Amino acid sequence: MTDATSNILDEATPEHRRGSGLMRLALSNEFGLALLIALAFGIFAMTLPGFTSPFSLFTIGRQIGIDTMIGLAMMAVIVTGGLDLSVGAIGVCAAMVFGYLAQIAGVPLPLAIPLAIAFGSVLGFINGYVVVRSGVHSFIITLASMSIFFGIMIFLTQAQSFNALPLAVPAMGKLRVGGPISILLIITLVVCAALSIFYRYTTLGRQMLAAGANARAAELSGIRTGRIIIACHMLTGGLAALAGLMLTARTGAAVPSMAGHLGQDWLLPAFLAPVLGGTLLSGGRVSVIGTLLGAAFVTIMTSGLLLMRVGEFWILACLGLMLLLAVLADRLRHQVLRARGMI
Amino acid sequence: MSALQVSHVSKAFPGVKALDDVSMTLRGGSVHALLGENGAGKSTLIKIMTGIHKADSGSITMEGKPVRFGNPRQAAAGGLGVVHQERNLVTRFSVSENIMLDRLGKHSLSSVDYPAIAAEAARWLKLLDLDVDPSTPVSRLSVAQMQLVEIGKALSLQSRVLLLDEPTASLTPSEAQVLFRILRRLRDDGVAIGFVSHKLEEVFDICDTVTVLRDGRNACDSAGLKSLNRDDVVQMMIGRAERISKRAARSKPATAPYLELQDYSSTAGHKDISLAVRPGEILGLYGLVGAGRSELAKAVLGLSGQTGGEIRVAGRHVKINSVAEALALGIGYVSEDRKAEGLILLHSVLANAGITVWKRLANALGFLRDATIASHVGPVLKKLEVKTPSLDQTIGNLSGGNQQKVSVAKWIAAGVKLLIIDEPSVGIDIKTKAYLHDLIHELAESGTAVLLITSDLTEMVDVADRVAVMDGYRIQGLVENDRNYERVSTAIMGLIHGRKAA
Amino acid sequence: MALSFTRIFDNDWVGPGLVSLAAIIGISIFQPSFLSPFNIFVLLSAIAVNMVIALGQLVIIGIGQMNLALGAFGGLVAISFVAVMELYGVPPFVAVIIGFAIGTLAGGASGFVIARTGISAFIITLAGLQIFKGINLGITEAQPFYGVPQSVKDFGNLSMLGPIPWLVLPMLIASIGMWYLFTRLRIGRYILAIGGNRTAAELSGINVTATVIWAHAISGLLAATAGMMLVARLQIGQPTIGDDWLISSFAAPVIGGAVLAGGHVSVAGTFFGVVIIAIITQALVLFAIDPFVVQIVLGGLILWAVGINRLRELRVAKLNERA
Repeated sequence: MTDATSNILDEATPEHRRGSGLMRLALSNEFGLALLIALAFGIFAMTLPGFTSPFSLFTIGRQIGIDTMIGLAMMAVIVTGGLDLSVGAIGVCAAMVFGYLAQIAGVPLPLAIPLAIAFGSVLGFINGYVVVRSGVHSFIITLASMSIFFGIMIFLTQAQSFNALPLAVPAMGKLRVGGPISILLIITLVVCAALSIFYRYTTLGRQMLAAGANARAAELSGIRTGRIIIACHMLTGGLAALAGLMLTARTGAAVPSMAGHLGQDWLLPAFLAPVLGGTLLSGGRVSVIGTLLGAAFVTIMTSGLLLMRVGEFWILACLGLMLLLAVLADRLRHQVLRARGMI
Repeated sequence: MSALQVSHVSKAFPGVKALDDVSMTLRGGSVHALLGENGAGKSTLIKIMTGIHKADSGSITMEGKPVRFGNPRQAAAGGLGVVHQERNLVTRFSVSENIMLDRLGKHSLSSVDYPAIAAEAARWLKLLDLDVDPSTPVSRLSVAQMQLVEIGKALSLQSRVLLLDEPTASLTPSEAQVLFRILRRLRDDGVAIGFVSHKLEEVFDICDTVTVLRDGRNACDSAGLKSLNRDDVVQMMIGRAERISKRAARSKPATAPYLELQDYSSTAGHKDISLAVRPGEILGLYGLVGAGRSELAKAVLGLSGQTGGEIRVAGRHVKINSVAEALALGIGYVSEDRKAEGLILLHSVLANAGITVWKRLANALGFLRDATIASHVGPVLKKLEVKTPSLDQTIGNLSGGNQQKVSVAKWIAAGVKLLIIDEPSVGIDIKTKAYLHDLIHELAESGTAVLLITSDLTEMVDVADRVAVMDGYRIQGLVENDRNYERVSTAIMGLIHGRKAA
Repeated sequence: MALSFTRIFDNDWVGPGLVSLAAIIGISIFQPSFLSPFNIFVLLSAIAVNMVIALGQLVIIGIGQMNLALGAFGGLVAISFVAVMELYGVPPFVAVIIGFAIGTLAGGASGFVIARTGISAFIITLAGLQIFKGINLGITEAQPFYGVPQSVKDFGNLSMLGPIPWLVLPMLIASIGMWYLFTRLRIGRYILAIGGNRTAAELSGINVTATVIWAHAISGLLAATAGMMLVARLQIGQPTIGDDWLISSFAAPVIGGAVLAGGHVSVAGTFFGVVIIAIITQALVLFAIDPFVVQIVLGGLILWAVGINRLRELRVAKLNERA
C-alpha cells in the first residue's frame, strides 16, 4: 500500500515536529503566564523598593504556596467537568479538626496532620458519593454541602478558634529554607510534582482524565466512572484540607472565619489559578504547572498592588477582572490554535 | 423554474473532501430523494443548504435567485424549512407555542396572545391531519406526532422548500404512510420536498426524482425515478450491483458458544432473548431503528439491569454489572456513536488506544509509562494501518475512518474474546469500510467471537455468518447467511413484518 | 379520581405549600406566640425580601444558568442607594431609580459577556461577584452608610395593614410580575424555551444573545430591589448586604420545583420555598436553637428538594414510557 508513507507513525520529519512544538509552546498558557510573571515581577522589582526584600519574597512565596494548593484542590474536581463550591468549607473544617486534635486531644502532630487530611477526603467522599448517586450536577450538591459542612463546624466549635496550638505549628508558618523560601512553598512544589506524576504516570490519574473528558466513552471502555469521580472529589477534599492546614500554620491558629462566610473567600483563588493555568472547565485536561504559575501570577500582582498602596478592596475587584480577562484570553488562544489547525 | 438549485458545490474538511462538485435540483410540486450511504455527503449537503456550513465553491439558488444563508434561521426566513433528525421541540411547551415559537409577540415585552397562536397553529395541524389540541404539551405526543408538529412548524414559515432528514427513522410503517399521505398533499399544493432516507421502498413509494451521492460526488443528479429500478439505484449508491457477496459463506464452527443468552430480559425492555455467539463466528444482529439492538449490547455490558434469564460466558453462568466486569470477561464493545461513546476526542491516539489496557500494564503501585503503552498498542495500530502524525496526536483531528480503526484497535489490544461491533461503517469512507470488513473476518478467523450490529443489509449479508433478527426488543428468528442477498433480505424482512402483520 | 389526585400533586407548589402549612400548624401548637401579630410581621418582612432575592435567581435558573453575583449586585445597589442620598442629598424616589438602573446595568453587562463569549455563566458571574463586591468595599472601605431617610426606614419597618408590612408590596409586584412574565410575556417564554431546548430555540429564530442579556438584566433589577428593601429594613447601608444570599437564592427555587437545567420554574413553588426557609429560621429562634444550625438546615433542604425533584423526574419518565 503506497499510503504506508503517510503512515506517520514512523514519518514526520523531526524539524517539522520541533517547529510546531516550539510554536505550540509559545502559544501555550504556561508560556504566556511565565512571561507575564517575569514582566510583572520585573516591573515591581524595579519600581517598588522593598518588593525584593527577603521578607517580601518570603511572604510572596508562602502565599503562592497556599493559593496554589487551593487552586489544585479545585483543579482536581474540575477534571471531571464538575466543581466543588465546598472547598473552603472543607479546608476550614479540616483545619478545625486539626486544631481540636492538636490542642484539645493532644494528638501528636505527625498523626494529627494526616488525620486532618483524611478528614478532608472523607468530606470529599460525601460530596462525590452524593453527586454520583443522585446524578445531580456538583454545583448544587456542593452548594448544599458547603452550607452543611460549615454549619456543623460552626455549631460544634461555637465559632471559637483554636489558638493555643503546639508551637511547631506557627513555627512551620515562619520556617524558611534556602534563604527566603517558605517551607509551605516547598510543600506545595512537592505536591505539584506528585500530582504531575499522578496524572501522567498512574492508572488512576489517567482514568480521572478520561472519565472527565467523556464519562460515557470512559464507562464503555471499562472504566468505573462513578468510583473515579468519587476519587476526584476525595482528592479535592484532601488537598483542600492540606491548604487549610497551611493557612493554619501561617496564622498560627485554626480560625473558623479564615476562609470567610461558608468558606466563600476561597472560591476566587480556587478558580483563578486553574483557569489562568489552562485547565479546561469542561473537564478532561489539567495543567498542574499552569495552576502553580496562575497562583504565582495572582500573588505577585496582589503583593505588588498592595505595595503600591492600592486598597485591598480594589485589588479584589482587580482579581475578578483578571479572572474575566483570563477566560477571554483563553477563548482567544483557542481560536488562534484552531485557526492554525493545532487543536 | 426550480424551487431550489444546488450547483457545483464543493466542501473540504481537514483531511476529507466531503463534497466534490455536487449539484441537485428541487422543483415545486415534486418530491426529491437524496440518497447515499453513510458518509456519502448527504448531511454535509443539507448543512450547506441551511447555512450551518459554508461551501468552498459552487452556488445555491432559490426560484432563480442566488441565496447564501448564514444560519438556519435565515434559511427558514428565506423559505427553506428543515425537519432535522433530532427532535427540535421545546417539549414542555404546548404544540401551538412550538409551532409559533418565533412569532409569540412583536417585541420582548409583548403579551403572548394564546388564543390567536392556538388558532393559527390549529390551521397547520388541520392541514397535517393532526388531531390534537394545540394547547397539549409536546411531551405528551408520540414521536410521530412530534414529527408532524415539526413539519407544521416548518410549513408555517411559508416554506416553499421542505427538507426532511430521515423522517421515518423512528416511525412505524403505518405512521410513515400517514406522513406520506400528507407529503403528497403538500406536493400537490406546490411545495418542493427534499426527502433523505435509507429505505429504498419508501423512496420508490413517494419520490419523483432522485439525486444519489457517492463518496461526496454525484452518482446521479436529479434523475427521474420512473426510469430507474431498485438495482440501478443501489448500484449508484454503492458503486456496484447489489448481489451475492464476494466472500464465500462460512460454515458454523462447532465450538461451544463464548457468549450465550438464555431467555434474557432486561430493564431496558428486552424480553426472552436467546442467542449464542461462538468463537470464530460472526453473528449479525439486524433490526430497524428502535428494535433494541444497541440497547441489548449495552444491557449485556451491564449498563441496564437484568430482570430474567441467564448470561453464560464460556459456559459459565455470570452476572455483569459494569463494562469493567464485561472487559474482565473478555467482552468489548465498539459503539455506533464514536464521538459521544467510543472515543475521548480531546485525548491523544495513544490514550484512546490504551485505555482498555492501562490497568493490565501498570505495575504493582499503579504506575505506567507512555512507552509501555506504546509498545503494547503500537503494533496493533500499525497493523490496522492507522494514519496519524504521531501517537500524541489529538484523536479528534483524525479522519472518521482512522478514528474508527482506533476504536476497534483498543479492544484488539485488550485481547477480547468477544467483540460487539455496533454500526462499524457510520461516517467512514468506502475503502476503510472494506478494510474493516476484512478485519472483522480476520478477527473471526483467529478465533474471536463477533457480534455485528448494523442496519445496512448489504453489510450484513457481506459480513455475517448468521443473522439474528430483532424487533420490539425480542429476537424474531435466525437466518443462515448464504450470501444470497435476495434470499437473505427477504427472509429477514419476512421475520420483521411477519410480526407486524400478526 | 386517582388521576386528578396525582395531577394536583404534579403542581410544583402543592408539596411545598402543604409542608409550609403543616410547619405553621405544628409550630404554633408548641409555640402559640408563633402566630402573634408581631411574629407574623417579622416573618412576612423576611419572606418579602427573600422572595425577591429568590426571583432574581429563578429567572437565571429558568434560562439554564446560574448567577453567583446576585448578592454582589444587591450589595452594590444597597450602598449606592444610601450613598447618593447621604452624600448628594438625592431624594429617595430618584435614588430608587438610580438603584434600579445600577442593578439592571450590572446584570445586563454580565449577561452581555456571557452571551457574547459563550463562556459559562458560572465563571463569568464568579468574576462579576468579585468585581462588584470589590467596588462595593472599595467605595465604602467596609464601613456602612448611615444616612437613610426616615421615609425609607418607615417603608421597611411599618405595617401596611395589620401585621402586613409595607415590604410585602414590592414582593407582590415582583412576584406577580415574574409570574406574568414566565407565563404570558414573549421574553419569559423565550427564557424558558432557551432553558428547555437551546438548539430548538436557536433554530426557531429566537435571538438567544438578546434573551440571555434580558434574563440577566431582570436578575440584576430584582437583586437591586432586594438590596434596597434590605436597606429599608436594616435602616443602614451595610456593605455586607448580599453576602449571604447565595445559598437561599438557590434553595427556594429548587424547593419550589425549578429544574436546574433550565426550562421549568414555578413562582408559586418558589414562594412556598421561601416560606419554608423563613419558618424554619424563625422556629430555630423561637425554640432558642443555635442560629448556626440554620446553615445546616438550608443545605439539607437543598439536598432534600433535589432528591424530591429527581424522584418526580424519574416518575414522569416512567409515565411517558408507558404512554
